[in-house]
Amino acid sequence: MHRIVVTGFGCITATGTDVEATWQAVLAGESGIQPVSSWDTTDWKYHLAGEIKDYQPRTLVSDRKLLKVISRQDVLGLNAVDQALAHSGMLEYRDSLEDPTSFNDRTGVFVGSPGTKYRQQHDYLQSLAEAGENISVFGSEAMDQVHPMWLLRTLPNNVLAYTGIGHGFKGANENVTAHGISGAQAIAEACRYLEAGAIDRAVVVGYDSVSESEALVYYASMGLLSPRALKPFDRDRDGTILGEGAGAMVLEAKDVAMERGARIHGEVLGTSVSAEGGILSVREDGEGLVRAIRASLEDAGRKPEEIGMITAHANGSKPSDASEALAIGEVFGASSVPVTGFKWSLGHTVAASGVIEGILTLSSLRERRVPGIASLENLAPDCSDLMVSADEQSPRSSLGLLTTRGFAGLNSCVVFSTDVD
Amino acid sequence: MSKEKRRAVAVTGIGMVTPVGNDAPSTWKALLDRESGIARIASFDPSGFPAQIAAEVKGFKVAEVVEAPKLLKYTVPFTAFALAAAEEAIRDSGIQPTAATASRWGLVGGSGMMTAEFEFLQRFQAEFAADGEVDYGRLGKEGERFISSPEFAKHRTVTGQALLHRRFGIRGYSANVHTACASGGQALGLAMRLIRGGQADYVLAGGYDSMITPVGMTGFCLLTALSTDNDEPHRASRPFDRTRTGFVLGEGAAFMVLEDWQSARERGATIYAELAGEGNSLSSYRITDSHPSGDGPIQAMRWALEDAGETVDGVDYINAHGTSTQMNDLGETNAIKAVFGEAAHKLAVSSTKSQMGHLIAAAGAVEGVICVLSIRDSVVPMTANLTSPDPDCDLDYVPEGPREMPVDVALSNSFGFGGSNSAVLFRSPERTEQQGEDDA
Repeated sequence: MHRIVVTGFGCITATGTDVEATWQAVLAGESGIQPVSSWDTTDWKYHLAGEIKDYQPRTLVSDRKLLKVISRQDVLGLNAVDQALAHSGMLEYRDSLEDPTSFNDRTGVFVGSPGTKYRQQHDYLQSLAEAGENISVFGSEAMDQVHPMWLLRTLPNNVLAYTGIGHGFKGANENVTAHGISGAQAIAEACRYLEAGAIDRAVVVGYDSVSESEALVYYASMGLLSPRALKPFDRDRDGTILGEGAGAMVLEAKDVAMERGARIHGEVLGTSVSAEGGILSVREDGEGLVRAIRASLEDAGRKPEEIGMITAHANGSKPSDASEALAIGEVFGASSVPVTGFKWSLGHTVAASGVIEGILTLSSLRERRVPGIASLENLAPDCSDLMVSADEQSPRSSLGLLTTRGFAGLNSCVVFSTDVD
Repeated sequence: MSKEKRRAVAVTGIGMVTPVGNDAPSTWKALLDRESGIARIASFDPSGFPAQIAAEVKGFKVAEVVEAPKLLKYTVPFTAFALAAAEEAIRDSGIQPTAATASRWGLVGGSGMMTAEFEFLQRFQAEFAADGEVDYGRLGKEGERFISSPEFAKHRTVTGQALLHRRFGIRGYSANVHTACASGGQALGLAMRLIRGGQADYVLAGGYDSMITPVGMTGFCLLTALSTDNDEPHRASRPFDRTRTGFVLGEGAAFMVLEDWQSARERGATIYAELAGEGNSLSSYRITDSHPSGDGPIQAMRWALEDAGETVDGVDYINAHGTSTQMNDLGETNAIKAVFGEAAHKLAVSSTKSQMGHLIAAAGAVEGVICVLSIRDSVVPMTANLTSPDPDCDLDYVPEGPREMPVDVALSNSFGFGGSNSAVLFRSPERTEQQGEDDA
């Protein structure tokens, strides 16, 4: 079985256009959560989001022609991919090869995707308005009014497709659409093919643009959002806040990375996914998350006491945070390992969160700094066993655990290390 | 290929809901009886659309086959198809998750992309976009009251996954994948790898989709991807025929129960076939097509053969992607020739899309089940409507009708918009057992 190392990463978030800016914002206690600017939210109760600031698609993708056939979330995903590829140096290495065929055939692409978005439906509203109840009229109106490339712009696998087309990669690929665990599961799926030796390297990307108008009102209707602040594990937490962004990593089989002399930023030791049976809600006892954490440790061949820090899902929801605290307590014991989270700073980027937060976990391990949760004021009684703080902590080893959760009762964990021998 | 011993994966249960039958036996019988599932669209008035035909599921009432009223309020048509097909597969396998095995059961689904129902979109427009533009003031004020909890829940991309977990008590590894038309095939391949890798002992795996909605139909019509042979629905899908003009949209679902070969043997399960290999590749050429040379699909088929330890001479039947578009059918033919060489002309290759249309994210799963049934019954389905041979598509596409022939190894191809390709290889139980003895 092959060991898997991280040789490149990149991200774009509400707090910065790259990993360094995003990391520095977290360390400085800064949040990218602000009133929405993409549409007029006057009189909106739930008006906060972690939007990308000053979104300029033409500066974010290298091939401007692409902008006609992709959507906003795709732009973010492809930008993160470009950053990660540049950081890894793997394209320069490929260019040095006499024949890149085998390199391309053995390069995979694994994606955590949000699926389709509400804003893409807006393209049909005009035709609907003109057709009323008459579907036949709708058909002819839509054929006149909707952009011929609409379906292609809407594809949930656009980032996968254009990462391939843009760079010629031809290996194994998956497009995971599993809500909040999509990013972490994309890492897990890349590892599956890398470990089996079916590919030598993989581009992994998670992207999302959750903070759409309908999403805000519908998530709020389900009681999932806070109108004020995202305060993980706080006594006064009252919901999450949606965001947008993308993160990408280059993963390589360790021997392959060593051979090309790549700079190694960390290792993926283990991954897991579990289902706990919910439709939208989480189980109060954290049972599924307990199994996911244990499975990832088992996959990594590590014991709980070896883990040096935990990047929790920490989305600010009352039941999710409480059940997460229970699960961490059950596996690790009370107040034994530093815990943090990043959604208070970035917003909940759902399908992107696993990759972005995985990258920040590597930053924490590398610099031996576990950032504080700046919005945490009063630790909640139902989270009191957690070693969380508004202030910075130190990891107790170079191993970090990432936990992510999503609708459908899904949990996914990844164990990272920055001590790669 | 790797010589290390690995777990073989058995197919022990199958279920389908398709345009030609609402379960696996009736679908299989209809295919062998040369029936077509393609007709004028009945679920809405298609007269204003360029393509007015589709392969719809007919007479399907989920409540009649899935006794779970609490779950059914969270379904949209394609997730209802999924529940029914999965129910059939689980029943057929004679095994289901228990409290003790729940975390050893996995789920892998290739699911469709159209999560919002048209009726919901109409209500949204009437309420918040009366003149065609979103009224954000009104949305902010009234939006929370507009949507109900089941309505929100049923439109999530993961809802099919959630419903399947709940219906059967699956609590282990779970994945929802979407690579357009390759989704179903990739789901089967991933499921096989889960069992091989030991992350699961049993996996419910398949695909489900429906894009036969006013929005889905216009989306494809705008791309001019669909056949508009509205006057001859039965003849509209003509894979590999010189006169082919595009595909016909279908809908439905298929699931398989997969499990570790040894434990399936020990419990006395009926084993249909071994899911023995997969090839998963990316074409990276254009968003809607692979290179005409077959680059992309070529790797997928080669890797599936390698993964299963088979050579080109071992393969008896290919269930082709065969969409009936000019580009696909030519590129796929070229890919088969590139991979199989001389052997390409000894193979039976057919496209069941000629009878049941293109089920998009469900296609790979449905066609995988068809491969399994071909192995069991020693008969392969035909390519219907192939009456004007295309000189560039010169393989044996089984145009004359279903053909009785022994099938020990069958390959199912699925290639998606976006360039993802999947080839999955099935092997007869006899051949698997024989190889096991040879190795020992």
